[in-house]
Amino acid sequence: MIKFRLGKGEEREILDYSNLTFFRKLASKMRDPKTRFDVKEFVSKGEDYLFNYTNKNVGSVDEKRRKFLKSLIFGIAAAAVVGIIPGVRVLVPPTVTVTTGFPKSLLVDSSGNPIKASSLPVNSPYIIIFEYPMTGEPNFLINLGDSSGKPVEIQPTKVVVPQTGKTYDFPGGVGPNKSIVAYSAICQHLGCTPPYIHFYPPSYVNPRQLTASEPDQLTAAALLAAKEANVPALIHCDCHGSTYDPYHGGAVLTGPTVRPLPSVILEWDSSTDYLYAIGSVGVATYPNGSNGIPSQDPTDDLSSSFGSPVGDKTTVTETENPFSS
Amino acid sequence: MGVSDWFRERLGLDDLPFFRTPDYMYNVNYWLGSLVAAAFIYTVISGLILLLYYNPEAGYSSTEFIIQKVPYGSVILYSHLYGAYAMIILAYVHMFRNYFAGAYKKPRELLWIIGVIMLVLTLGTAFLGYSLIGDALATSAVDVGEGIISSIPGLSIFIPILFGNYDAGDYGRVLAWHIIFVALIGLLFAFHFFLAEHYGMMPSKKVKDKAPAVYTKEEWQKFNPWWPRNFVYMMSLIFLTWGFILLIPNALAYLNGLPQQLNPFLNPKPAPPPNSPAAAHITTYPPWFFLFLYKIADFTSDVVIFLFIGVIIPLLYLILVPFIDRSPYLSLTKRRLFTAFGILMITYLIQTTIWGDLTPGVEIPIAQQVMVYLPPAIITLVGVFVMPAKTNNKAIANPLSILILLVTSILFGGALVTLIASPSLLTIIAFTLFTLVFILSIKNISPIALKIEKQEQTIITPEKPRNRELKKKIAEVLISILFIFAVILASQLWVIPATGYLSNLFGIDLGLIFIMLGEAISLYHYVVYRRD
Repeated sequence: MIKFRLGKGEEREILDYSNLTFFRKLASKMRDPKTRFDVKEFVSKGEDYLFNYTNKNVGSVDEKRRKFLKSLIFGIAAAAVVGIIPGVRVLVPPTVTVTTGFPKSLLVDSSGNPIKASSLPVNSPYIIIFEYPMTGEPNFLINLGDSSGKPVEIQPTKVVVPQTGKTYDFPGGVGPNKSIVAYSAICQHLGCTPPYIHFYPPSYVNPRQLTASEPDQLTAAALLAAKEANVPALIHCDCHGSTYDPYHGGAVLTGPTVRPLPSVILEWDSSTDYLYAIGSVGVATYPNGSNGIPSQDPTDDLSSSFGSPVGDKTTVTETENPFSS
Repeated sequence: MGVSDWFRERLGLDDLPFFRTPDYMYNVNYWLGSLVAAAFIYTVISGLILLLYYNPEAGYSSTEFIIQKVPYGSVILYSHLYGAYAMIILAYVHMFRNYFAGAYKKPRELLWIIGVIMLVLTLGTAFLGYSLIGDALATSAVDVGEGIISSIPGLSIFIPILFGNYDAGDYGRVLAWHIIFVALIGLLFAFHFFLAEHYGMMPSKKVKDKAPAVYTKEEWQKFNPWWPRNFVYMMSLIFLTWGFILLIPNALAYLNGLPQQLNPFLNPKPAPPPNSPAAAHITTYPPWFFLFLYKIADFTSDVVIFLFIGVIIPLLYLILVPFIDRSPYLSLTKRRLFTAFGILMITYLIQTTIWGDLTPGVEIPIAQQVMVYLPPAIITLVGVFVMPAKTNNKAIANPLSILILLVTSILFGGALVTLIASPSLLTIIAFTLFTLVFILSIKNISPIALKIEKQEQTIITPEKPRNRELKKKIAEVLISILFIFAVILASQLWVIPATGYLSNLFGIDLGLIFIMLGEAISLYHYVVYRRD
């Protein structure tokens, strides 16, 4: 900025710097033979011609205005960026609550109402599943009966782990008839999940299933083992034929599995008829020793790498009926 | 200017073979591709954020988790969906605009074919993405898709390859293919973009009325350099697109109880899961962009015939059109048959989509199909061939008047069918009314009307510089106002809760800021660059 000093700090502005460059640019364009300023036309057309001429050759916007506008644009852009900052929270991974013990979870249906133990169908061919203790870990919920469909009381028993020879205590069934049990729905052989592994009610444990297609086929070995163990129903995995005994704590009936199905400990509130899942017994669902030898401590399944705890409620879903007939 | 020059030098932008642009091309009509690209980029970015949370082994529950638990998860998910919607709609607009402009002609045939392939990939990606939600609608859409594929002998081997264990609830394959398809679109986009820059944008028919419609390098040199003007203009379009992609779905999230007919188009929320009792109460329909296919599937029980009508013939036509339409003329009157085909394609697409929405899965007898599809064909063909050719008139229609003609011809056809089906005084009146409107709209795009318009245009005196100065002043004031509003809105953004009912306000506000940013840049472009 060019200024006059009028003594005693008083100043008077004469010419802004950007105006000066503008005039210099305009003057040079006017002299330039390529873009010479036509004086005759200026006389005839007046200031319109001058405006048009400057617009065309020098530009209508001086640097200062342009800079101001640019700073406004960058201001809006900055506002957008500042506004997005709280949105960056989206990048923060969800916190995994570290659990020290099994949660106590009420079993509810898909609309959030608690499941009534006495309304659970006996020997249901549907695959009834709830997640516990972590999300994504399915477990069967089965109300066991005999071949005539009457609920059967499931006694506490000792279950043998063929792989290690050790045993653990299975607490038995719960509910009004002590017939309700829950087992992990992850096959202990190679981790197959429903519908490939599921419960076979007594009416489906017969030679007809030998020729059925997946996922409701039974192997001859499974049928024979059920007969020898004198159990009317069984849990069978179609992947490789592992068979488990739901009446005796999910014990192994036939291989290739070498571990029983871990069971979920259920609690039945006789006053409300509600069911709760409160823990697990048996081997850990995910073997974590060398050569796939399972941990004897089921709380190993509570590691955050397997998911997040289901919380105080877990939804029971009736996924499908695998039997075609 | 310092920053701009710095970038210009570092990036060597002046040396890139980017198209130098004439003044008249700073018009959205010429920039539709950048709108599609903006929607694509937005969808990719939001999709990558979703990838941090989505678990393909629990499709539905992780969708619900993203909506309910992730901070601003619903904002990202809904705008991801609408980014894809915007991309599909804009791709159609971009394609049909270039179809009517004759942009598929020499030397742009390859550019056109790549574009058609990208459209197919986009629709495929959208279908796979839609399937990832795992709600009752998605699973039934996959069932229909699997049904179509498996009923063609030999193709059923693709079902496990594409969908993996979808029925068992494992969407890993679908997610992988979704991403692979996007990567393919990205690769083709790079190719498409550089081809477009290589040939330059299609000149106006007033300048070049014959193929090959390209500017020579000598002509190029006189135009505006790509940097920074094209960049500035592009940024304004990109932010405007992003703004609407964020604004619309998040505003729609607050609309509850939409009528069933609007649900496929306007509902950003997932439907209930397929194994829930609530799933029994919903009508299943495919995503809106496949409603037309869904309807065509009701026309015949033979899947091969259905595929020919719905997919193969239109696709083959689009891919082969550069080789079928060999005339060098770009004017619509000089390639009447192709004009008619283009109008019919749009008409049938809209018509069938709406029909599919109104009667999803209801079988349609052949007589009714003829009733619906014959009138537009007759009207279009007669209309296009009766239109007199004007030798001195190079442009005979703009997109808006074609759209109006389209709407009025559909209304006219509908009124005609109603009149034949149930003749009464009311239908006669309606038919006369719609016929009049239809004739008016035909007149509107006829060359006679255009001639008058052209004469009017020549009468208009060029804008006075002082007027322009005033307008530029107003634009500057508007930019300042937009700045103030943007700052206010941005400060509001900080108090919106990250999850829950109010969280969608974040998307609305951010969308508004983006729209303001886009608008401000566009005003800046006007102030700084507009001369004519």
